[in-house]
Amino acid sequence: MSVKAFELVPAVERLKLLGDKTKTSIECIECSGKNLYIGTSDCFVIHYLMEEVTQSNGKVTYISEKQNHKHLALRKPIRQLKAASALARILVLCDNVLSLLNMFNLEPILSGAKAKGITSFTVNDNPRHGDAFSIEIATCAKKRAVQVYVVTEDKITFIKEVAIPELPMNLAVDGFCMCVAMETQYILVNYETGAVRDLYPVSSQERAPFVRRIGKEFVLPGPGIGVFVTPAAISERPPIKWAEDVHGVGFSYPYIVAMDSEFLTIHSILDQKQKQTIPFQNGSIIGDFEGKIFVASSKDVYGLIPLPVEKQMFMHIQQQGGFIKFGEHQLIEAKEMFKGGKLDVRELICLFPNLLPSSSDFTRAVPFLHDYADINQIVQGNPERLQECRAFLLDYLEEIRGSESSAGSRMEIDTALLKLYASSNPKKLNEFLASENYCSLSDSLETLNAHKCYHAQGILYRIHGDYEKALNIWMRIQDEELKDPSFPGLEYIIQFLAKLSDHELVWRHVEWCLQKDPELTVKIFTERPEDEPPTERMRPDTIIDYLHAYPTAVIRYLEHLVFQRKLEKESYHTHLAVLYLNEVLKLRENQSTQGHVLNLARTKLRHMLQQSNLYRVQVILSKVKETDMYAECAILYGKLEEHDKALRIIVHKLQDYGAAENYCDINSSGRDLTYRRRLYQILLGVYLDPMEGKKDSLLAPAISLLNSETADFDTVRVLQLIPENWSIGLVKQFLRHSVENNMHLARTRKIQNSLSRNENLQVKYQMMKQRREPVYLSEERLCQVCNRNFVEPKFVRYPNGVITHTYCARNKTICPVTGKLFSVTKET
Amino acid sequence: MAKESETSKRKADIKVVIIGDACVGKTTFIKRYIEGQFTENTETLGACFYLKQWGPHNIAIWDTAGEERFSGLNSFYCREASAAIVAYDITNPESFQRLHERYIPLLESAKDDCLLCVTGMKLDLEPSAKFRVPSSEAEDFSARLNFDRYKNQDRYRKPFFETSSLTGEGVNEVFEFIFKTLLTNGKPLAPQKSLVDLEKTPQPREKPACC
Repeated sequence: MSVKAFELVPAVERLKLLGDKTKTSIECIECSGKNLYIGTSDCFVIHYLMEEVTQSNGKVTYISEKQNHKHLALRKPIRQLKAASALARILVLCDNVLSLLNMFNLEPILSGAKAKGITSFTVNDNPRHGDAFSIEIATCAKKRAVQVYVVTEDKITFIKEVAIPELPMNLAVDGFCMCVAMETQYILVNYETGAVRDLYPVSSQERAPFVRRIGKEFVLPGPGIGVFVTPAAISERPPIKWAEDVHGVGFSYPYIVAMDSEFLTIHSILDQKQKQTIPFQNGSIIGDFEGKIFVASSKDVYGLIPLPVEKQMFMHIQQQGGFIKFGEHQLIEAKEMFKGGKLDVRELICLFPNLLPSSSDFTRAVPFLHDYADINQIVQGNPERLQECRAFLLDYLEEIRGSESSAGSRMEIDTALLKLYASSNPKKLNEFLASENYCSLSDSLETLNAHKCYHAQGILYRIHGDYEKALNIWMRIQDEELKDPSFPGLEYIIQFLAKLSDHELVWRHVEWCLQKDPELTVKIFTERPEDEPPTERMRPDTIIDYLHAYPTAVIRYLEHLVFQRKLEKESYHTHLAVLYLNEVLKLRENQSTQGHVLNLARTKLRHMLQQSNLYRVQVILSKVKETDMYAECAILYGKLEEHDKALRIIVHKLQDYGAAENYCDINSSGRDLTYRRRLYQILLGVYLDPMEGKKDSLLAPAISLLNSETADFDTVRVLQLIPENWSIGLVKQFLRHSVENNMHLARTRKIQNSLSRNENLQVKYQMMKQRREPVYLSEERLCQVCNRNFVEPKFVRYPNGVITHTYCARNKTICPVTGKLFSVTKET
Repeated sequence: MAKESETSKRKADIKVVIIGDACVGKTTFIKRYIEGQFTENTETLGACFYLKQWGPHNIAIWDTAGEERFSGLNSFYCREASAAIVAYDITNPESFQRLHERYIPLLESAKDDCLLCVTGMKLDLEPSAKFRVPSSEAEDFSARLNFDRYKNQDRYRKPFFETSSLTGEGVNEVFEFIFKTLLTNGKPLAPQKSLVDLEKTPQPREKPACC
């Protein structure tokens, strides 16, 4: 098949490069990143910066700019250049001497980094030892030997030499293996062991024998063919047919570009077939640099740019190659090729029986990419291999899922993944389904059913919007009609219903849920999405009515309304309070109730009674009064502002004096001091009331109240209340405290008084000052607002001297002319 | 893992080469076996390569070029061969003579115990031919070539065949003989046809049942 794989694009213009020096020619080129180096026949190294530009029509061109040049002053041609970007150096071979230049300013490295007697060299891209800061090179010596050097930033160190039967002409190296072209023979040299193996003779027609490393193989010329040789000295690929006078090759996977005197011939190493020929007269140099191929004649440099159209073909070849690898069970290579070739993954899926959904409109590409009917033909009944192939497919699908190239076959990919998960990994299956996917419904359901993945079926229904069926399946799993251990349980259904916007469907399932777990079911209503628009079906009253038969559920729901949503509606609060109360009463009736359960219920009730001001107190009180729930009773009286009753209950029934003081504190919060004092006064009165209880029994709490830090009293009224027979010692602390407090208060007031008087004086002084200046009002004087004469003696004068009519002064505190604001205090 | 598969890449269990004079029909012979049909072929350049699956075994079949100018390369392509089909044209005695002079020496680079099958080609032309290489002579030649292999056996199937790529006569037998001798000690094995050939355009065939 002939395709257009590359296009020849000028990289450096002739004029820019050599000017008018007609005798100068290009000897060698090197490219590293954006740096292009050219070595010339008259010993110049020229450095260009080269930018690859894609034009609007998709054509790629190069824009190159000369950076620098360096003359090595040897009058000999530059034989070879090689950039070592990690070292920021260029290796230069000139006059059989290898030396180093700085990669950027082209200055020679003068630290003695030189190696002599070298006719050509090559970098070992696959060195067996060495580090990132050195490179290994193999060289042809000017004698019957090949050598190995290590190059660092400032040194070229000789490592090894292997003697060979003839003068070396050219070489390539991979690992320890050197492939050397000699004058009459190609050989392989292992420089580790020194072993030399003959390959075949150099044919007489060849001008300059060359060898080139391609991956783990070498390619070298035979008579009109290119021969592949492995380091084991055998060939594992048929040769490539090319012209007799090929003198160089470049490699850009999977293409080999061979240069002869008239053409560039492009072959694929995958099928060894010729793909394209490009006319190129008098080409002398070809090289691939980091995957890019450049060619040069004696005056021009061109880049070979892979074409997008060609890319398609290349992909086709890669796809085919992928299937060959797949057939050979070399899955890693297969994957790379499938990916590189952007394989329509359905080609792969359809190899596996039943993985392709029946709704897919996919048919295999014609011509076929491969000859396999199905996977069984590939694995030949080997179950392990089949398993590996399935794992491979799973892995591959996971990898390409969501990529751009798989956009057209999402349904097939997702369905296949679902089927693979269903048979191997149910946990992953549910995860997979929970995320966005495009699984085909009918096909997937069948598979899931076969693998008993019922929960997954439900998820699938949900994704496809069939909520009713989804719920149906989940309910059946919950009812244990269907068995699926991966189902998370009732909560999952509740969560789902809570988010379901189809309220009608929700209501149809609420009853079933209530029967399972009323408290959990309430979450359907309490955990609704915040942005859900309110509807008649989801009105709180409707819900409360519905939940009526399940008190625990109602309580949960009302708690949600009252505490979370803070709805200020009397009926909810009263309802909740009544329900709490009923709960408590029920627990009290039941003899076997444990203390802490009752306590908890009562705490909840009290919390509710105390916090809320919206419930109908009388309703609750009438019920509570019949019991001995004094604490609740006190709270309720407090709500009715019947503090005397409340405190009497606390003091006499509960005998909790701390609580009594606390009561005063809580109920006076947010009120003024007199109210607060009144409460404490009431409490004191209760303590000292001789009619109630035993006399003097409340002496201690009364005294402690009087001496309390938080309590507040009107001293005079307290003194009236204190019985005459009390010793002064009992109330000493209180009295001293009161006196001190009153003294302090009196003194503070005096200071305040004086300060205010002083302020008043100052204001008066200001006023006097203002008024002292006479205001002359004549006929000529105009109002500064309306610019008219004053016709009556009344006028307004602002503190800044602005005079206006009285009716023009709209605001006493703002000057109508300047807009200045005068403070109110100064006005007075 | 990547390294492992790299080494196993294209790893064939045995390598079979076919050698012989130009134009005796080596490529046609191999294509007859691989593709099951008669083809007309021109000069092979350098070499050609086929991968054949025979039961669990991978067999690399190398077709070499008969032309003189490739002789240097042929020795390289015969390297490590386990078996060689030594081909001559039954109707061309010269091609039989040249085997000894020119082609047998190429097999020096093959394995020491390389099985050499002397195979006559173009049996279908025999009736109309003026000359014919005598079967007995070729058979004796095959016995001499494989002397070491069979020296302890008195009676054995001599590695000698006469075939026709046009009719297909004897073609499969040659390969079956080689594979059985080398891989299963003479026992037969039902071979499956699952060859991958890049040069062949796939024949349209029925849609797989799964789709």
